[in-house]
Amino acid sequence: MPEQPVPTGPGSGPESAADVWVVIPVFNEAAVVAAVVTEVLAGFPNVVCVDDGSTDGSAAQVASTRAHLVRHPINLGQGAALQTGLTYAKARSGGQFFVTFDADGQHRVDDAQRMVAVARSGTSDVVLGSRFLDQATNVPRLKRLVLRTAVALSPTARRLHLSDAHNGLRVFSRPVADQLRITMSDMAHASEIVTLLARSAWRVEEVPVTINYTDYSKAKGQSLVNGVNILFDLSMKQRGR
Amino acid sequence: MIAIQFLLIAAVGLGLLLFVRRWHGVGMQAGKRIGLVAFALLNVYAVLRPDDVTWVANRLGVGRGADLILYVLVIAFVLGMLNFYLRFKTMDRRLTELARTIAIREAELVNRERGVLAAHNVALSVPAAEPATGPATVIVPVTEEQR
Repeated sequence: MPEQPVPTGPGSGPESAADVWVVIPVFNEAAVVAAVVTEVLAGFPNVVCVDDGSTDGSAAQVASTRAHLVRHPINLGQGAALQTGLTYAKARSGGQFFVTFDADGQHRVDDAQRMVAVARSGTSDVVLGSRFLDQATNVPRLKRLVLRTAVALSPTARRLHLSDAHNGLRVFSRPVADQLRITMSDMAHASEIVTLLARSAWRVEEVPVTINYTDYSKAKGQSLVNGVNILFDLSMKQRGR
Repeated sequence: MIAIQFLLIAAVGLGLLLFVRRWHGVGMQAGKRIGLVAFALLNVYAVLRPDDVTWVANRLGVGRGADLILYVLVIAFVLGMLNFYLRFKTMDRRLTELARTIAIREAELVNRERGVLAAHNVALSVPAAEPATGPATVIVPVTEEQR
């Protein structure tokens, strides 16, 4: 039994990322999750996948890799899965940076590595991936409209001058991860995180990232209709309970 | 219709304000219950003496007593739903905490068996796995009184 989890993939310097934990929420991604996790493990030795009650054997796929696996006994939502992964990762010793990464293969490991490098440089406490900085390369038009609307409707995203409030690729430094507590179980968690960051004194930085819009990931994205749900939940939350 | 319009709108506004305030103390909870009982008693009275209700309705500018009851019922319904929604959210949050604690405990065992988690790292984590309501939170956790 190794002292530290040892990656199986080709080493692109994962030992230098020993203080990084990658949190991957997984919900019914059996078709791609093993490949995605293996790819991430090649760049980061510490990966925790939170299976959010998948019914398609995603957990078995994760179990075939060297990633840590946490299984929700019931489906709780992506926000809850992220928080579970963070809680699990924080409880392990040595974690200094916490990356959130999507299981559907839309994110790139080298983007995550660049973002960790930015966080490590100490210029910011939180690094968020953005599809719209620099060259807005390959975002489908409707998707872009939805995401832009989400930013426009979010006063906090505007205050932070964020260009992309709903990107799943993020890096939190340890102090931020300790403070972060995602209570929105479902997709509203992205806005919740942005709101938290806006209210705090953390330095937030956006880094341009490339999204692989495969047919697979496109079929899974957020719809405009779901945006209504998100807005309702968030507004109820902001008025107290 | 002026009187009733004013009353209804004021009732909705006041109700929203009360339900949605950040503090939800014991007094608030008692108030809700008193309101519920009073509403029930009022309904009993309205059934027994519909003419009285019609008299009140006329005073408020509503044609029939039954209409007045309906208006009040709509407001009661909306506030009741809101209360239910907030309570449901609280329950949901608790369920999430519970499931998370279970999931992490089990994961520590499973991952150790799989050999991806070093044994010494497990013992360390057991108390840390449930600090969810610690002081270092940005969002105010739901407490008993808030229900």
